[in-house]
Amino acid sequence: MIWFLLALFVVAVLVIAVAGSRLGRSSLWVAAVPMAATALWSVTLLGSDEVVEAGFSWVPGLDLEILFRVDGLRAVLSLLVAGIGALVCVYAVGYFSSSAAGMGKFAATLLAFSWAMVGLVWADSVWTLFVFWEATSITSFLLVGFKNTDPVARTAARRALVITASGGLALLAGFVLFVDAAGTSVLSDITPVTGSTATAAAILILVAAATKSAQVPFHVWLPGAMAAPTPVSAYLHSATMVKAGVILVALIAPAFQETDVWKPLGLTFGLVTMIWGSVGALRHVDAKLILAWGTVSQLGLLITLLAMGTPKATFAAISILVAHAVFKAALFMVVGEVDVRAGTRNINELSGLRRSMPITFGVAVVSGLSMAGIPPLLGFPAKEAAIEAVLGLADTELLVVGGLVIGGAVLTVAYTTRLLLGMFGGSAPMAERTVAPRRPAMSAPQVVLATGSVAGFVALGWVTDVVRTASVIVEPDAVVYTLYRWPGLTDAFVTSMIVVALGVLLGGLLARRTVLTGPAARGAAFADTVIDSIGRAARGIAGVVQHGSLPLYLATTVATVGAASAAFVGEIDTDALYLWDNRAEAVLVVMIVAAAVAATVVSSRLGAALVLGAVGFSMAGLFVALGAPDLVLTQLLVETVIVVGFVLGLGRLATKFPRPTRLWLAGRIAVSVVIGAAIAVALAGAASSPTGQPPIDELAQSAVDEGGGNNVVNVILTDTRALDTLGEVIVLLAVAVGILTLTRRRATTPAPAKVPAAVDLPPSGSDPQPIASETSP
Amino acid sequence: MIARTSPIVALAVSAVTPIALLIAAYALFVGHNQPGGGFAAGLLLGAVLVLRTVSGLQEPKYAAVLLAIGGVIVGVDALSPLLWGEPLLDQFVVSWDVPVLGTVKTGSALLFDLGVVAVVVGLVIALLEGFGASDLAERGRTPTDSEMKARR
Repeated sequence: MIWFLLALFVVAVLVIAVAGSRLGRSSLWVAAVPMAATALWSVTLLGSDEVVEAGFSWVPGLDLEILFRVDGLRAVLSLLVAGIGALVCVYAVGYFSSSAAGMGKFAATLLAFSWAMVGLVWADSVWTLFVFWEATSITSFLLVGFKNTDPVARTAARRALVITASGGLALLAGFVLFVDAAGTSVLSDITPVTGSTATAAAILILVAAATKSAQVPFHVWLPGAMAAPTPVSAYLHSATMVKAGVILVALIAPAFQETDVWKPLGLTFGLVTMIWGSVGALRHVDAKLILAWGTVSQLGLLITLLAMGTPKATFAAISILVAHAVFKAALFMVVGEVDVRAGTRNINELSGLRRSMPITFGVAVVSGLSMAGIPPLLGFPAKEAAIEAVLGLADTELLVVGGLVIGGAVLTVAYTTRLLLGMFGGSAPMAERTVAPRRPAMSAPQVVLATGSVAGFVALGWVTDVVRTASVIVEPDAVVYTLYRWPGLTDAFVTSMIVVALGVLLGGLLARRTVLTGPAARGAAFADTVIDSIGRAARGIAGVVQHGSLPLYLATTVATVGAASAAFVGEIDTDALYLWDNRAEAVLVVMIVAAAVAATVVSSRLGAALVLGAVGFSMAGLFVALGAPDLVLTQLLVETVIVVGFVLGLGRLATKFPRPTRLWLAGRIAVSVVIGAAIAVALAGAASSPTGQPPIDELAQSAVDEGGGNNVVNVILTDTRALDTLGEVIVLLAVAVGILTLTRRRATTPAPAKVPAAVDLPPSGSDPQPIASETSP
Repeated sequence: MIARTSPIVALAVSAVTPIALLIAAYALFVGHNQPGGGFAAGLLLGAVLVLRTVSGLQEPKYAAVLLAIGGVIVGVDALSPLLWGEPLLDQFVVSWDVPVLGTVKTGSALLFDLGVVAVVVGLVIALLEGFGASDLAERGRTPTDSEMKARR
């Protein structure tokens, strides 16, 4: 089933890729199919102890495996990923206008992302997880930059990619160290590891999770990613991709609980992020940014709970993860609908939408209250569990972690209140703005999600089962906990009522105060500056190294070869060297030397080409004398073609060489002497110290036995060492394609076209120099 | 055009062509046991094409097609053993009895060599095309850069 579903995704992506332009907006329906199928299958596994596994050995020599495992935890996660994905597809049908361009591309990328995310949550080998992790980075880059003509979206996409991809590198390093320390790459087999390698791995993996899950200070990409169309935000930035880091922490936590750094570092990331995120949510006026910062805050809470490592906290984290995905996706959809229908997301400009958009208002209230943790909604028992978990701490931890988590909860209630009041409150009718009619495709998914928040509370027994089964995968001791509809007047309940009261008060006060614009995105600007300066530095270095002067390239190469061969001077053993095997060689060598010398003094270009040909043909003679018919044949043919090539090329040059300046002449002599000496030294050095028997017998034997041929040379080329030949063929292909493109382009384009930059860099300073195709000395 | 002004050249080149083709085919097939092979066969064909082009009997064409065919053949030959769980580039040898020739033994290396032939010939044609060899045949010299520019 795992293979079938993953293949279904790939097939659907291909279908959309091929037929996307014809399908238009309907591609989204195609995209919803594999997601819905995965969600349905995940539902059947919820809360059961059944484990489905699949896998194969990818590269046996490296112990690389593709392994999937669907258990209680992963079924919950894939239900969220695929289920919300399917709802987002439906929502996007309403969100985009029927004439929107690039729908096929959008649907295919969204589906590819969903596939990567499903693969990520199902992965049971760290390497499988890594591959899908990177795939989510790339597909999300494409989705954030979907409006690729908008410079804001492009910068935001680049920022998100650079930050999450740097995290990917940290993750790779962390996994390498982890596998080294743990001795296994299978996630379901991990056991606690300690020691310095494990510590380094813990830090790297936590940093990777922090980049993906937008923990301070890596959070700067998430608000910027709101440049994406709202369906993308609702999907990637609420339910799925930002959860990848949390999921990673949950899956790998059992291994690192006992290292010294895991808990303090995780708590620091989580607590700082939670507070800073909710402060950010209180400062912004764009409803989508408020939600984005709220997401940052919630992710901080999740990381905090998982880093605490107590069974109760783990249980609470899984509960919140589920509740958050449901209410946050709904809220993003609400904001997207308000944006589309009212034409703005600024809470200063919005007012009184509760009358004109009643269904959306209902969804927003239900989901918002769930976010604030108010009964009778799913967010309430989840938040109760979290508060109970932090109240269970002792001493300093209770003060710091408990205080901050409860403070964060107050701020969460406050920004929720402010958001709801800002969008739907107020009685003044909105001047200048009319509200467009409702689109059913946008409303339906929101209603489903809002119903989910309610139904989750009603069917809390079932939800508890599901969450408990999932938590036990991470922390076996979590089996004793339950979510309560009505906990009684416990400390946690009293605390959370105080939290709600304070939060509503604070939020109400802040909503009255009019803030005209949100704070400037300084962190994002700083990240962009860093990225830009890396790009500038790279271009500077490339400009120096790739100067485009052929003589300088040649001189550099020769100098390197000369330096490398200098080491072999000491290896030369004059006793082992002898002059010739037979006298014909002497004659031929004299001919070669004479022709080579002639090539340096002859004044006409054609003459030079011909004496070079003479060198080559004499060389063929040398091969005859040495008894190597294959080399003779090849050498003769190569020389023939080379001479013809020279004749053709010379047609467009002057017949005589230009008269060289003294410096130029000296340089050329130096280069020639160095390369001649280097090759001579290397050959003499190699001939002086033969090691062991030449492999000719072995090669001859294998040529007959395995290659099925008697010509050892050719069997080596096509069989024994065919990989080398394959490489040479690829070089020939590259050269030929180069010749064709350079010459055809010159014949058709008026001016040397600029090399198109692979990455969109903002215009700055100098353009990259086009590589000179011709530099005449 | 040399071939038009000199019947000797035209006849000689035309007469040499089939012989060279035959030799190239021979070099290709015996390559496994005697001097020859794909590279040599490709260069032989390339040399014939050079002769035909500079004497004006033929236009250098289809370089890209040949390169693509060669690349695909070599790539498929290299990768296909993986499908059967064999290592990359593993050779597959077959031998069968043919009435006149007796037992013929060949293998996937021949296919590999055919790919090499196509790539080498494609490269030679690309060179001829790139340097304006048909102009050489037409007017006795290749176009200068300024002429290239003027043609645009």
